[in-house]
Amino acid sequence: MNTIEENLWNYIDGTCPPEEQEAISRLIEGDEVYRTRYHKLLALNEEFTNLELDEPPMAFTYNVMEAVRAEAAIVPLKSAINKNVIRGLVGFFVLMIMSLVIYAMFTVNWSAGGNSELYNYKLPQIQMPAIKGALISNAFKAFMFFDIVLVLFLGDSYLRRQRPVKQF
Amino acid sequence: MQSKLTDIELIEQTLSGNQSAYADLVKRHQRFIFTLALRFAKNREDAEEIAQDCFIKAYKSLASFQGGSKFSTWLYSIVYTTAMTFLRKKRVDTSSIDDENVYLQLENQHDGMDNNYAEKRSRTYYVNQAISQLLPDDATIITLFYNGEQSLEEIADALGMEANTVKVKLFRARQRLKEKLERLLKNEVKELI
Repeated sequence: MNTIEENLWNYIDGTCPPEEQEAISRLIEGDEVYRTRYHKLLALNEEFTNLELDEPPMAFTYNVMEAVRAEAAIVPLKSAINKNVIRGLVGFFVLMIMSLVIYAMFTVNWSAGGNSELYNYKLPQIQMPAIKGALISNAFKAFMFFDIVLVLFLGDSYLRRQRPVKQF
Repeated sequence: MQSKLTDIELIEQTLSGNQSAYADLVKRHQRFIFTLALRFAKNREDAEEIAQDCFIKAYKSLASFQGGSKFSTWLYSIVYTTAMTFLRKKRVDTSSIDDENVYLQLENQHDGMDNNYAEKRSRTYYVNQAISQLLPDDATIITLFYNGEQSLEEIADALGMEANTVKVKLFRARQRLKEKLERLLKNEVKELI
């Protein structure tokens, strides 16, 4: 069951049905308690309606638009590559591979027997150079040192890029 | 000078690449969004962060705005979720509508720290003080209803509640605000209400 104040607030807000609105209207006219409370709540309602909004800092719009511009600058990097181009490239390579496979399948001599020369083929004997001397040479050491420095430098650059950026 | 175009027209222009149209939208709604954020955050720095975050989120998902509701209603729902996430991050308990202990300390601070008597005499000042002592849910509903000129259905839409729930919450929030106001004004409340 609604209290007097609840009824009056509904009446002020205009959220009650017309017949209830009419009944409350009659009560306000005839009942002193209702009338007094109604005027109190009406004054309060007026105060709430005239509430002023807080003003954000002067640079608020500028800050928002700066962030939006930064956001807009990031988005094109992600979306600049047209997905159709990627799909086209993937399709091209798939088509190429399939064509090669089909071509190979049609050109292979499937009737080749087990006594083919292929089975008797022997790898040529290759004489590998002695690498022991090469590994301890100064040139090799310098090359390895340069490589290690390069790996450290590139690794450092990569990790710096991984540092989290401010998320909006 | 603010644009005379409607929100929908400004949105269409923004979506077609005109960023200054979005700046107009921000200018149009920033005061209310900032006030709403302030109802949650209770300090201007946090409120600014929430409001800014809200406008950026709105920009990013502007294309998903269907136009089924008012742009402002859509924006308020973003403020609500953004503010809730923000408060959760800050580990401020805002979930219980009945737990007023959190604000008891704040309330007591307000009672003793006001030295600006000229400002203190202002009725608007008292009402604002009383609102700042309310729980965020109550303050938000009152702000949306009175400042945002939103209907109960629109508030329900923005807050993801039933219209009847909003009606009951609004009634309770007004009761609490009245009590806070009476406590603040003490004898002067008789003159005000």
